[in-house]
Formats: sequence, C-alpha cells, structure tokens
Amino acid sequence: MAPSQPAHVNLSPAELSFLRSSLSQTPPIRLDNTKGPRDFRSMIAEYDVLPSTNGSARIALEDGTEALVGVKAEVEKSQWRPNVEGRHTLSVAVGVDVDMADDDGQEGEENKGKGQNGWIEISVEIPGFREDDALPVFLASMLTESLLASGELKDRLYINQRFHWKLGIDVLLLSPPLSYPLALLSMTTHLALLTAHLPALKSEKDEDPLFDDDWDAAVPLYPKHDAQGGTNVDKPPIIVLAIAVGSNIIFDPCKEELAVADAVLAVGCAPSNASSTGARIVSIRTIDPPAHLTPPAVPNSMNSATGGVAPASTADALTQRELLSATGVWTPPRGGMKRSLISQVTSMVVGKGGVAEEVIAALQAIEVG
Amino acid sequence: MPITIRAPNLPTPHDALARAASPSDSEMSDDDLPSGTSGTSIVTPGETITSDPQWMRGHGTYIPPSTTTIVSTVAGHLHKTNKLLSVQALRARYTPEIGDLVVGRIVSVGTKKWSVDIAAPMLASLPLSAINLPGGILRRRTAVDELNIRTFFSEGDLLVAEVQSLHQDNTASLHTRSLKYGKLRNGMFTSLSGAGGGVLSRRGGVVRSKRQTFTLNTAAGEIDVVLGVNGYIFISAHATSPSNAAATAEDKDISITRLDEAVSETLYSSQNDEITPGVLREITRVSTLIKGLAAAGRRVDEDVIVRVYEGAVELEAEEKSLGITDKGVGAVGVVQAVLERLELGG
Amino acid sequence: MAALSDRRRINAPSGGTSAPVFSKALKEPGYLEELRPQRIRAPKELRKIFLQTSIIPSASGSAYLEIPNAPSSHPATLIPPTSSLKIAASVQGPKPLPRSAPFSPTLLLSTTVKFAPFATRHRRGYIRDAAERDLGVHLETALRGVIIGERWPKSGVEIVVTVLEGDEGAWWGQEGGSNGSGWGLLNVLAGCITAAGSAIIDAGIDCVDMVSGGVAAFVQDPSADGRLLVLDPSPAEHRDIIAACAVGYLHSRDEVTEVWLRGDAGLEAADSLIEGAAQAAEGSFSVMKEVFIENLEKNGNAQGLEGAGGKRKHADVEMAG
Repeated sequence: MAPSQPAHVNLSPAELSFLRSSLSQTPPIRLDNTKGPRDFRSMIAEYDVLPSTNGSARIALEDGTEALVGVKAEVEKSQWRPNVEGRHTLSVAVGVDVDMADDDGQEGEENKGKGQNGWIEISVEIPGFREDDALPVFLASMLTESLLASGELKDRLYINQRFHWKLGIDVLLLSPPLSYPLALLSMTTHLALLTAHLPALKSEKDEDPLFDDDWDAAVPLYPKHDAQGGTNVDKPPIIVLAIAVGSNIIFDPCKEELAVADAVLAVGCAPSNASSTGARIVSIRTIDPPAHLTPPAVPNSMNSATGGVAPASTADALTQRELLSATGVWTPPRGGMKRSLISQVTSMVVGKGGVAEEVIAALQAIEVG
Repeated sequence: MPITIRAPNLPTPHDALARAASPSDSEMSDDDLPSGTSGTSIVTPGETITSDPQWMRGHGTYIPPSTTTIVSTVAGHLHKTNKLLSVQALRARYTPEIGDLVVGRIVSVGTKKWSVDIAAPMLASLPLSAINLPGGILRRRTAVDELNIRTFFSEGDLLVAEVQSLHQDNTASLHTRSLKYGKLRNGMFTSLSGAGGGVLSRRGGVVRSKRQTFTLNTAAGEIDVVLGVNGYIFISAHATSPSNAAATAEDKDISITRLDEAVSETLYSSQNDEITPGVLREITRVSTLIKGLAAAGRRVDEDVIVRVYEGAVELEAEEKSLGITDKGVGAVGVVQAVLERLELGG
Repeated sequence: MAALSDRRRINAPSGGTSAPVFSKALKEPGYLEELRPQRIRAPKELRKIFLQTSIIPSASGSAYLEIPNAPSSHPATLIPPTSSLKIAASVQGPKPLPRSAPFSPTLLLSTTVKFAPFATRHRRGYIRDAAERDLGVHLETALRGVIIGERWPKSGVEIVVTVLEGDEGAWWGQEGGSNGSGWGLLNVLAGCITAAGSAIIDAGIDCVDMVSGGVAAFVQDPSADGRLLVLDPSPAEHRDIIAACAVGYLHSRDEVTEVWLRGDAGLEAADSLIEGAAQAAEGSFSVMKEVFIENLEKNGNAQGLEGAGGKRKHADVEMAG
C-alpha cells in the first residue's frame, strides 16, 4: 500500500478532533508544547561513524527514531559513449548554462554534463518493510531525484573517459518508523554526503586511474570552496516535510500531528548558488495524508448510545452527516491542496531566512564545530 | 531557531542514587542468603541467586532440573518477601493484575466482546456484559446491543477500565461497570512505552498508587489526568456536562440512578465538547511534561506531576517577564529545568 | 535499485547493448541534433488526446487514453520521432474485502501501475520495478483525495493501470538514451491520473470532483531568456529540460491532490510550474468531460429514454461545468 501505511492512523475520532482543534489554533498548539510551528524536533547528530565508508552520518531523534547513512564510492568502468565530446562542444555552442556558467572552476567545466544518473544509487532500508515495498521505494526515489536535480554531483564522479566513480548511498532506518521518516533520512544523507571524501586522483587524463593512498589528501565530495576560493558552493539537498492544518502550516510533524493533516508536502531544496535567495527547490511531492483513511466520528445526534436517533439506512446516515457541521466531530478531509497553500509552504521553506536555510546551516555547523 | 541539533554525549554514568534507593525489603536480614552477588541486589540472567533449598522461587527465577539452585532469568532487582525470592526486571512489558486501572485502545470488535490493547503481551478482552449500557445501570443486555456493538466502542477508541479477572494464560478481562470508567474523549493520549508499572517503582514510568486519576487545577480550567498502570495516560478537559452540573446544583444527594442517566447521555459519545484554547494549551503542556518526566527517568505520579506542572508554569511566567522567549528546548529540557529549580528551592 | 531484479527467470544482462552508432553521426557533430524533432505546437498548446471509457466489459469501470506521436519530419532516419503514450486503466470493484482483512470503515484503494514489457525502448521485466511502484504511489495519492471512501465501508477497489506505450525520458538519438533523466515518467503519471480518474467515474464510485493530470516543464530555450515554460512537453523535443511538474488537478475545487515536481526550480519557477501543470490538467479535464457527456447522451438514446430525459442530463452537466 501507500506510504501512509507506517503512519496508519489508529486514533479514536475524539482524539483526532482534539488534535485538530489544537493544531488549528493561532498560533497552533503542537503536541510538544515547547515547540512552535516551524520548530523541528530536537535531534542528536554525528558524522564519520563508519570507518569503512567514504562518508557516514547518524541522526537520532528524541523519540528514538534513528537513521544511519553510509556513502561508499567505487571505481567503475564507463560504457563507451562516442558522443560525449561532441555533446560537450555542442553545449558550449548553445552556450546557455544556467547556474554554473561562471562560478565553477576549470575542472568543473571540463566535467560538465558528463555525469550519468546511473552512477548514483540510493537504497533505503526500513525495518519491517521489504525493499520493494512502496514506502522505501518512494523514499529512495524522492531522495534520488533531489540529489540528481542539480547535476553537479554526478559530474564530480567523472574520472576520465573510461572510468567513473559509482556512488552507493545506503540509508538505514535503525528503528521502526514512528513518524514519516523522510526528513530524518534526508538530513542524515545530507550530513553523510557533506562529510564524504574521495581519494585524490594522481593519474592524468585517460590513464588507468591511480589514487593517492594518503587519506589526508582526499578531496571532499562536496568541495568547501570553489576554484575561485568562494564559499558559495554546491551542497547536498535536504527534504523538509510540512503539513497543513486549516490555514496553519507546521513543519516536521510527529506521527499524531501527521494523522490530522489536511495535506502533506515534502519539499526538497538545495542551497542556492546566488546568495540573494535562501535556497532553491529541487523537488516537491505530495504525500497522501493518512487522515483520508480515518473513519468519521458519529455525532451525538446520530448515535443511539448517546440518546440520538440512529439513521434508518446508510444513505440517510451519509446525508445527515454531510449536512451536519457541529464542532468537535471528526470529519476526514477531502480533496486536495490549494495552490496558494503550496506556494506559501514553498516560500516558507526556501525564502530568505527560511526553514531550509536554517536546517542546512545547522547541519553545516556540526561539521565545523 | 527552528532546529536544534546536538552532538551525542557520553551516556551519563548510572547514578549511584538510583541504585541505593532501589527498593529492596531491607528489613529482611541478608545474612542467611548465600549469594554470589556480593552486597548488590542486582542480578543478571543465569546468575545463581542461592542454592539453599529453604528459599522459594518467585517471578523472574528458575530452578534447573535436579538441583535446588535458584537462578535468575531476567536482569533486575532481587526482592525477598519472607522466603520468596523474585527478580523484578528493570524494564518490562506491563503484566496485568486484578484491580489495575488501565487505559486501553480497542483493537478489534468481535460479536460479543472487544479486544483491547493495554500494552500487555496479550490483548485484553472487554465483554459486552462488562460495560454499562446506556439507559440505566441495571438494564439487561439484549440482542440489539450485540448488533450495535460498534456504537459503544469501535476500533481505535480509547477507554479507561479496571482489570476484572485474569485468565489462565494471563490475558486480562476488563470491566467498565462504574461511572469512573468508560470511553475517553476531550483530550489526548500519551504512552510511556516500556515503562509499565509494577508492584514496585522503578526508573521512570507510572507507579501503582492510591490515586490513578486526579484533577489538576490550572489557570484556564480543570484538567483530568488518568494514569493507567500500563503506562498509557489520558489527559482531558474536566468533564462537566451541563445536565450533570445542573443536577448537582439542584440537590446534593442525587440518586445514583439519576446521575447515571445524566452521564449516560454522553457515555459513548465520540464527539468532543467545546474546549477553550487555554485548556487545550494546558492539556498539551501536561502531556509534554509527562513525556519529559519519563524521558528523564523520573517516576510519574500525581505528586510529581502537580509539582512539575506548577514549576513549569512559574518558569514560563518568569521567563516571560524577563523577556526570554526560548522556544524549542524540548520536553526533557523543560522538565530538567523545572526539576533543578524545585531541587534548589526545596 | 538493481537489487529489484526478476529472480524467477533467467534474464539477459541488465546493461543491454548500445544502440547502433552511425559514422555520419560521429563525423558531423551537428548531424544527429538536426534529426531531433522540433516542437511545432505553441508553448501552451497540448498534444491531442484520445480518451474512451468502458472499453473493458468485465471491469466495473475502465478507460483508455492515447496521446499519439507526431509524424516524423525526417523519414530517412532509423530513430523514431517523439514517443506516444497509450494507457489502459481498469477499475475492479468496489468488492468485499476478504474475510481475513480487518474491518475498514472506508473504501480501500490499491493502485497498480505496470509498464508493458514493450512499452519503452528498454524492455521492462514482468515484475514491477522501482519506477513503476513509485508511479503507483503517486497515482494513489492523486486518487485518494477524490474518492469519498466512507460511502463504501468494508470494501476494496483495485485500479490497474497498464502503460502500453510510455513517453521516453529523452530522445532516442541522444546519448544516454532513454534511461536518462526519466522526464517521461511525469507524462506517464499525468496520463495515468487522467485515465484512472475517468475509469473511476466510469465505475460510478462517488468522487468529490473529477481529477485530471497535466504536465508543465521549463526547457532551455536559446531564443528566450534561457528558460521557457511549456505545457505538455514531449521529452524528445527538448534537449534540456530544467524542471518539470505533474499534478493531479481538481477542476471545480481548484485544488491539487498530487504534485510531483522535479528538477532545478527556483521559488517563482515552482509556482509557475504548478500553475502551468494545472492549466494542462484543465485541458485533459475538458476532454474527460466531453467524453462523459457524449457517453451519457449515447446511452440515453440506446436505452430508449425520452429525448427530454437525455437532454436534461446534458443540460445539467453543462450547468455544472
């Protein structure tokens, strides 16, 4: 079934109604009342935890959800592609490079457009799920497409015409998913990629690749500085999960908060190259809100156990229920998301001083500090 | 700051205090217990407790065939009750006992009974005959009630009940035949996993005590807290149904049947009453604090909750007056701050 | 996702072989690019859509959607021009859940999207691969918000979508070929949403609205200032797609149940992509509506209803639209 499966709602209608009414207050009252709508749950993070990988990270949430990511790079033979050179000249002829035309160094320019999507492989493993279940597949493809969106990472994996790096990113959730784990997995992946290193290349051009065995000389997968020494460089993307309850937008929802959401949106974003805006969007996906599957509450007036009159037929019950608009009765949301709401979420995520910028800065701070 | 990320720190050394305060019936003399656990009452599985045949084995112990040695089967504290040796695991699933007040969630609906999750190894059962039917306590169960079983409780509904009896295989049978028990609404549910209570207190979790349900007075209004012995907790707005309140105002010595009728109107309702934002806020605050208490490894009982709650309100007022708007410290952070203050103050 | 291989059969090596490279393409770098089909539609013009419902008699509802390919402008080459899209969707149910299933207060929806093995340039296996499962999840999200599930308690419905021909991710002549960036999947998803949405209505399952799919993309355009918004892009016609978005759009509520945006989009770009995709979905919606009105009129006549009855129905539909 859907990714809603782990978040399968098992709450009573009264609880759902309670949660909904507290989340739709202004400002919303979250389950953890020390947190505001934009706050993430506090977490513990560390990197370089696995010595046999090129980069690794672990993040644990307070509720015990924990993710571990290992990044491993292997040298692989490339398939012969006759048109690579021709394509390169062509792309120069067309001459419109959108985002890395100017601030990328000589080397970056050389590798531009030579990377292939197949060189990056992400697998997500979640306990209790088969590898081909919908949830891991969905998470893996969302992580993959945000990672591939900028195209700069795969270009850095190019060694020469005959060889390339194959990057295997293995994402492991160590605990059963208590809440929707997308944001956690993406932050862990971000940290692992940010701290990943590749051995320094000693050979030149199309020779068989030869690497420096000094690990200290290894080059970071995501360089800290570009060729000009600027600090405005590519960073791995992160994915932020947001829910909408009424007109409120709440980030990083816990399981119970997710259960009453009208709409759930996952926004993948990477830091912007231009310093004017906070971040840029690399992918957006809607996630089916689990509330769609919840049963509606039976209002007192229709409940024979509370002095009401039970409707004679199911058809009657449905009409009565749909006409009723009493507060405190849980009714599952219908329909989709307004477009204005989506753009509100995206601007909160990637706008100047938005959530994405703060999360990326916080993860960066771990590596520095 | 919407996001707080901390580096992992080394686990805090197990405080000696907790061990010293660990409950062991200290009035029993230790001298006739030949044990390999020199002075400490903590044992691990497979550890020989005693080979003296005068001791009787209790929970958490095992006698290998053709010996008289008593061996522990769980890791935990050793307890001696007269000549009975038992080991209480440090962390265990809840094991129901008769008379326990539990909060449970309906898992499935059968023809004449419900299966209820009470955090025990096995689902408890709630027979249709063990609930108060609407319309008077003495009403007989009819075939119509059996057909309408979902109107009382359906999947996912929360209820508070008492363990009435235990079957041979340790499954519990519940009942809600009292006005205190029944369906829960107007509030939120919190679970302290792995911290189900036992006879004796342990690090964190709900403790069996005299009062499992109590009312908390807050600035916004009264809040009911139900502490299930099984570690499930329900916090709700204080139930004052208008009919009930009016009735009590009229005459104090209201007959039990009339009170019952008034309550039964809303006994199986799954519709929430109007709750003011202030009460909503206080309910979530209490729930956050309880989670924080459990995470900080503290006991959860009425006394602690009331003290921590009052401390937290005070702390917030103080911070507000000082102009600190320190959001996002998390549940544990708040609880620790409050406990520090309390310990300093008293 | 190489791990998700077909373990029951003996398969050919996964890599396959490269397409033939002709010497002319190597000698003249620009030659291959010449053969690339050009988009002759206006940027906001959709491809033609063919939609028919009730094509599978045994299913309770079904629909077939086809977006034909453009005629080849270079008949001399072996490389086919743009790819076409052919999707068949069928709805089985609502039918009772098996006895072993737990009680469900709502209609349980399960969606299966499967490419026919011959649907794309690279042959697909018989078991569903990651992309197909992912599409299934997207489709389910798009449909779940539309169906009023509580009207069908204790029952389930299966929606099976077979992609007979899928839009390729890139032009065949382009190096990297069709296993490239997978932009075609967005078109396939939009087609699946339209087809499955029609099939659900055909099956008479209660819906809050009609859901239709649409795609919009930002492509590199040398003539404009770098990027150009096009509706219903055919990936073969564009060398570089910067970002694309597929939506499941509810016409009368003006809401989206499903958004799948990928690629390097800025903040404003994301908004205009979703906007554009909704416009494209509006186009598919008008086709869907036409088809249903046509069907109703035809059925009215076939059942020998009075002309007035049939007409009134028609008028009602028009009023609603």
